[in-house]
Amino acid sequence: MKINNVWAIIPAYNEEKNIAGIIKKTKKYVDIVLVVDDGSADRTTGVAEKTGALVLTHALNLGKGAALKTGCDFAIKNNAKFIVALDADAQHNPDGIPRFIEKLKKCDIVFSYRSLSSKMPLVLRFGNLFISNMAAFLYGVKLHDTQSGFRAFSKEAYKKIRWNSSDYSMESEMIARAGKQRLKYVQIPIETIYSDKYKGTTVLDGAKIVLNMLWWRLFNSR
Amino acid sequence: MVLGIQIAGLLFGLFMIYYSFIIYKRKEFAAIEFGLLLVFWLLFIIVSLFPYFLEPLVKSLNIARTFDLLVISGFIILIASVFYIYKITRRNEKRLEKLVREFAMKKNERK
Repeated sequence: MKINNVWAIIPAYNEEKNIAGIIKKTKKYVDIVLVVDDGSADRTTGVAEKTGALVLTHALNLGKGAALKTGCDFAIKNNAKFIVALDADAQHNPDGIPRFIEKLKKCDIVFSYRSLSSKMPLVLRFGNLFISNMAAFLYGVKLHDTQSGFRAFSKEAYKKIRWNSSDYSMESEMIARAGKQRLKYVQIPIETIYSDKYKGTTVLDGAKIVLNMLWWRLFNSR
Repeated sequence: MVLGIQIAGLLFGLFMIYYSFIIYKRKEFAAIEFGLLLVFWLLFIIVSLFPYFLEPLVKSLNIARTFDLLVISGFIILIASVFYIYKITRRNEKRLEKLVREFAMKKNERK
């Protein structure tokens, strides 16, 4: 396989409607677009392959964390230098990718933050604020938005932040590991479109994330 | 005199023997597993019908009634079972995740 430097990894679950648009836009800014179909029941894999993305397919739905980890492991194995992670539900605008790559040249990991505007559902705004304060208190990582999945990191950073969570806790685990490993990070603002209010992090996920953050602080040595 | 609760215990024990037997016949339990379960449920029925068998144990543990001993034992078994099932579920989750992820990557390598 050809050596490529920048890979975009898009975990997707039942996203046949949005995936083609995301791939087309993302392809303009990276060397390889890798879609990890997390056991979709629809034609996500077929549509993604047809649009020109490299596709890995989970036989079962494992969760966003596991799908992204599969993609990252595969990318690193195939000599990726930089990885950009974004969601498949058209929530993230791929036009922002060049800013991530630019920032990544000077740090290990780039986080993004959505404006806490009235567009963000109230429960998400409150939960996000609470989790952000927890991350700052427990790990010394001060972020405006701990749950934004639009992120970029280097190959070296990935080896240090490689998470165990298979669900949405992955985003917080990444922060926890980055804090513990004292990685250099920056955060940049992004434009966000909320397309499906039934997808993404729920209140229950939020409660689980908070408990996990305490657990990792107390019992995870790495 | 046999009390209602004892009849319930007897019926429950008989049902569990029947259910274990069905699972054994479906070859989901080995003969030794079925044998051990049979002994367990027979003991359960005996204790339900003749609780005074446990009187010496009840007295030595300073428990007021045989029924209390059964309730306490039931809770202990329940907690141990939940812990055991949790451990097995976590292990299987991790195995499944590893398998699915490896399979997804290997499939692409072959392309």
